[in-house]
Amino acid sequence: MSNWGREYENRSGFFNDALDVGQGPANPPRQAGFNLDEDIDVAMQPAGAVAPPRRLVENTEEVEQTPLQTMIRHWMNERHSPDILPAQEALLAGLLDHLRSQTRNIQILRDDPRTSESEHIRIMLVQTEIERVKFLIRSYIRTRLYKIERYARFITTNADIQTRLTASEREHASRHAKITDQHLFLSVLQSLPESQAHLDDTPVFYPSMVTQPDKTRPVFVHALQDCPPVALPDGTRLQMNKGHISLTPYHVVEHLVARGEAELV
Amino acid sequence: MSDTHQYGDNGTKLLMESRRSTQTDTLMKYNDTLVRTLIREQRDLEKLATSLLEADHNLRGPPPPALLIIQTTINRNKRCLLAYHAHRTSMLQNMYWKYGGALPHLLSDPDLRSRLSPHEVDYLRQYNSSLMDFRSDFTYELDIMSGIEKPPTEIQVRVRVARECGVVQTENGTIDFKPGERYVVRRADVEHLIVQGYLEEI
Repeated sequence: MSNWGREYENRSGFFNDALDVGQGPANPPRQAGFNLDEDIDVAMQPAGAVAPPRRLVENTEEVEQTPLQTMIRHWMNERHSPDILPAQEALLAGLLDHLRSQTRNIQILRDDPRTSESEHIRIMLVQTEIERVKFLIRSYIRTRLYKIERYARFITTNADIQTRLTASEREHASRHAKITDQHLFLSVLQSLPESQAHLDDTPVFYPSMVTQPDKTRPVFVHALQDCPPVALPDGTRLQMNKGHISLTPYHVVEHLVARGEAELV
Repeated sequence: MSDTHQYGDNGTKLLMESRRSTQTDTLMKYNDTLVRTLIREQRDLEKLATSLLEADHNLRGPPPPALLIIQTTINRNKRCLLAYHAHRTSMLQNMYWKYGGALPHLLSDPDLRSRLSPHEVDYLRQYNSSLMDFRSDFTYELDIMSGIEKPPTEIQVRVRVARECGVVQTENGTIDFKPGERYVVRRADVEHLIVQGYLEEI
């Protein structure tokens, strides 16, 4: 997955280069708003930001993260974390809005007979980029969906985890918990004697009937900056400096990931 | 020995079926007979436990050890039953996603249909409608049902028509797919047809 992320960054570098080539004098500027270069820059800006369009510099350490890069970070964290992470509603909405306007602009540019051959190539690159961003967002949403369905019953009883979901995710969780319960009731429980027909038994020595996120699952964590020391389960302390990669149980580094000081890889 | 019946044997059988199903990655036929047998066993055990309790009530001694065994069996059997059904629904969900959420396509397969219990068909329908609600939030931008296994590398894809699928509406007009012919089309337009096996990538 990280490979793909890298490839992706290379691509976007290539992408901007390709666009630069197209900016020669042979290409008279079109009416503003349909200019692809500008659009790409806007894609990297937070939604609604008024900052002037700015070239994307490859060296990410000097430049603040673009929404897309932030999204990639959240996507990787979400995929590796056993727990459901806070929903990134504003970020996602910004990216989706932008996808929509990009698609519309492409449609207009492609139907315009004045569009030249080299611009068509650029349009194709933008389309490819759009498909790739869509893939990323889709994967992000589906990862969350998978966890939500898996922990649906737990989510309906836990207020803390509900704050980390969007409204529609919460609805889906309660719907899913309901249909699963209903299915089990119709198939099994309704035929059992009254005293056995419950889904919340807590017999001794049995695992709970409600699946919960397993926070002890080991994860690879990568420190993005110098982190305060964390306590390992055996009582020793681990000090992670910037760039350090470690394999630990998820609950040990949970707060670092939440604060953005470390990422899961 | 083979005739000896122990408490929990049926539950184990049911679990073995789930395990075999996982190992071969196929959904087996819903074992209605075994599920019914187990449910009947549960009722009998419950009766046995109640009668033991009543007898015990008259004696006023510590509860007989048999009661503990019966209750453990009841709990275990119940968990086996629930696990069997939960395992099947999770397999159904996987199958649902594998076909890109095409429920009619899935349910029209007579082979699969024969392996499902009526409740499971209902379950799939409800699952589908719940997901459709969720999906509608994203309709304008993207289809969350499309594949997430491979990141797209190009926008066009070469396909061969494997099965008759008629005229398809796309963003750039309509395409009339004729069986056996080859086409170059936009991946996003035909993704669902590839997943459902109407088109083959070449």
